[in-house]
Amino acid sequence: MKASKVAVLATTAALALGACSSTPGSSAGASGGGGGGTAVKIGIELPMTGGEAPNGVPTANGVALALEKVQVPGFSVSIEQKDDAVNGKHDPNQGAQNMQALASDPQVLFVVGPYNSNVAQAEIPVSNAAGLMQCSPANTAVGLTKGDDGKSLRKTNPDKIAYVRVATTDDNQGAGTADIAANIAGAKTAYVLDDTQTYGVGLSDGFTSAYEKFGGKVLKRDGVPDSTTDFTSYVTNVKSSGAAVVMYGGVTTSGIGLFRKQMAQQGLANIPLVGGDGIVDGAAATASSYLNIAGTDGAPNSYGTVAAIHDIPNPDQFKNDYKAKFNTDPGSYSAPGYACTQIFLAALQAVGASAGGDLAKLREAVRAYVADKSHTYDTVLGKVGFDENGDTTQHTISYYKYDDSAKDWAFLKQRDFTADPVG
Amino acid sequence: MTTATATGPGRVATRLDLGRWTVPVAVAVALVAVYVLLIIGAGPQAQEQFINALTIGGVYALIALGYTMVYGIIELINFAHGDVFMVGSFVSWWLLTTLGFNGSIGDPVVLAAVLALAFLVAMVVMGIVGVVIERLAYRPLRNAPRLAPLITAIGVSFILQNIVFVTISNSIVTSPQVIPNPVLTLGPIQIRAINLFVIVLTVVLMAALHLFINRTRLGRAMRSTAIDREAAQIMGVDINQTIALTFFIGSALAGAAGVVQGLYFGVTKFDIGFQAGLKAFTAAVLGGIGNTTGAAIGGFIIGFIEVLSSVFGYGRWSEAAVFGALVLVLVFRPTGILGQQLGDRA
Repeated sequence: MKASKVAVLATTAALALGACSSTPGSSAGASGGGGGGTAVKIGIELPMTGGEAPNGVPTANGVALALEKVQVPGFSVSIEQKDDAVNGKHDPNQGAQNMQALASDPQVLFVVGPYNSNVAQAEIPVSNAAGLMQCSPANTAVGLTKGDDGKSLRKTNPDKIAYVRVATTDDNQGAGTADIAANIAGAKTAYVLDDTQTYGVGLSDGFTSAYEKFGGKVLKRDGVPDSTTDFTSYVTNVKSSGAAVVMYGGVTTSGIGLFRKQMAQQGLANIPLVGGDGIVDGAAATASSYLNIAGTDGAPNSYGTVAAIHDIPNPDQFKNDYKAKFNTDPGSYSAPGYACTQIFLAALQAVGASAGGDLAKLREAVRAYVADKSHTYDTVLGKVGFDENGDTTQHTISYYKYDDSAKDWAFLKQRDFTADPVG
Repeated sequence: MTTATATGPGRVATRLDLGRWTVPVAVAVALVAVYVLLIIGAGPQAQEQFINALTIGGVYALIALGYTMVYGIIELINFAHGDVFMVGSFVSWWLLTTLGFNGSIGDPVVLAAVLALAFLVAMVVMGIVGVVIERLAYRPLRNAPRLAPLITAIGVSFILQNIVFVTISNSIVTSPQVIPNPVLTLGPIQIRAINLFVIVLTVVLMAALHLFINRTRLGRAMRSTAIDREAAQIMGVDINQTIALTFFIGSALAGAAGVVQGLYFGVTKFDIGFQAGLKAFTAAVLGGIGNTTGAAIGGFIIGFIEVLSSVFGYGRWSEAAVFGALVLVLVFRPTGILGQQLGDRA
């Protein structure tokens, strides 16, 4: 009896130690600002661990790189890193808690994040109440900002925008996936599956409405709970429906890689699969990315979109700077993370002197500056501004296809839905 | 513990008075009804969907057997059981990758040897893990109030998850699928080799368990312990050994299900035990907890409910359908479809 209790205690202690020592990927508190000046912080609120690492880590790296490259005289900016992944999966409650913690730290003037739309849904009321500006590099769900859904998230201070995003919305991204399905893959009938989450359902809706304008027809639409591992019957449904393309609205951690793998096992790898930025999360070699899980049989014939501009003004410079610092290529949302940080630093530069060292006033000044829709910013993504809801004025979607020789996503083209709208 | 004891002693909780053929006939009728539904929903793919359901149902059934055996004998809902399944999938992953396999094996002799080894190792290792868990976590609490071992079981579940989370991977792990993937034609039936393998395996394991419980001395010891622990002890049954044996067998079956997970889906993850355990537990309750035949039937019922929801385009409701069916069954038959079979000291 005694021995067994000791053994249990020892195991527990070992686990606790293990948990403590496993710090997130790249949270190294890189500090910009060249020393001296008022110490302020930029919060990073992204999913950093487990299956989310391919999403959060490159995005957070973008922030760190921007802080290194851009300095604001009179301020020393350091990073306050939060992780909203619980057991390796993004978690809205954890996100809201992180946001509370960031808001209660007076030095935090601005937050980059979150990555996932359902996390944003939980965080926007918090940042809105605290008047702390957050900039999401990757959120695309329409209802976060627009219409009555957007208003209901901003209940505390309806007139104060405290959430902006540099990624465009899923009406555009959905149109992008529909454009690929109908015009690049040349498929006029589709089977649409979503992961029942905010982002996945919204993206599939965006796809459905645009696909019909491109002359396509959705034969069947269904959703799978995000803890599913057995997709075999859904794969057989694809066969029954006779669809020429499968569109998936959802993220990799919801199981799409498994779905694609099981498609290949049932001999359906020749049917293309189109997804949004939820599946464009790294090369086949990246552990737990979509391509990695789908495997060598499943990855071919996969298409994806990213809700960001691919042809950024100085791509080589950004890529080289990133590679020099992190020894790897940037991820899909590294540049948007960088852009969010640039926007913060531009605002800090503009209003930094006005607050006279009062951090609360400074936080509000930064928020008001970024929320002002007359301002535009020269960022790594090009010229970016925000509309009255806090959505980016840049409406460009980039298209990618799996390339078998590189074992990675290869850029196809990008489409600006402001200049080139659907229908 | 099984329907074969239906005419046993009177200290058995409510159940149907089943004639010898009632269950087989009911199962046959249900299968025909399901098949008709599948033809309506899936048309030419009805057979394929039927096989999908049998396969996943078999996995649930294998896990459910461990729940129901443990509940039958010590009335503990062993919430760690789903995680035993998960650890089993990692044992098989570790073995196959250590042996250097990363794809299908063409040579049938090598394949058979590798499969036999994988199942043997995973089942023995998980059986031992089950016995160790019982010895360390449950036996000291055997006479404690019912809630204490229940909470302990949840604790063991977290410990197992965290051991894998910290030491192996916090994300999806790709497991080698050593069984080749041809579509076999058996008369009018077209079936992929892996599905055939999983279905045959689950049936063989269940039949072996049934024979063991009903035809061996140790099986009789298990049944008598389930009915009345003290009386069994007086009659010379070694209670500790019998309970340890129950944990060994239940955990070994979960280990087998873990190997199947890797072979069939090609992936595993530290948290798959939660969802699978919940479904299997539901299967056990649906069939009548403590009743091994009921657990097997419950597992297949859940498999069919999931597949039917997806076939009719209500995939997002599949979990609601599974638990809704559980609620319905419990409202009309509180002891499950086949009825509980356990001592009534509760």
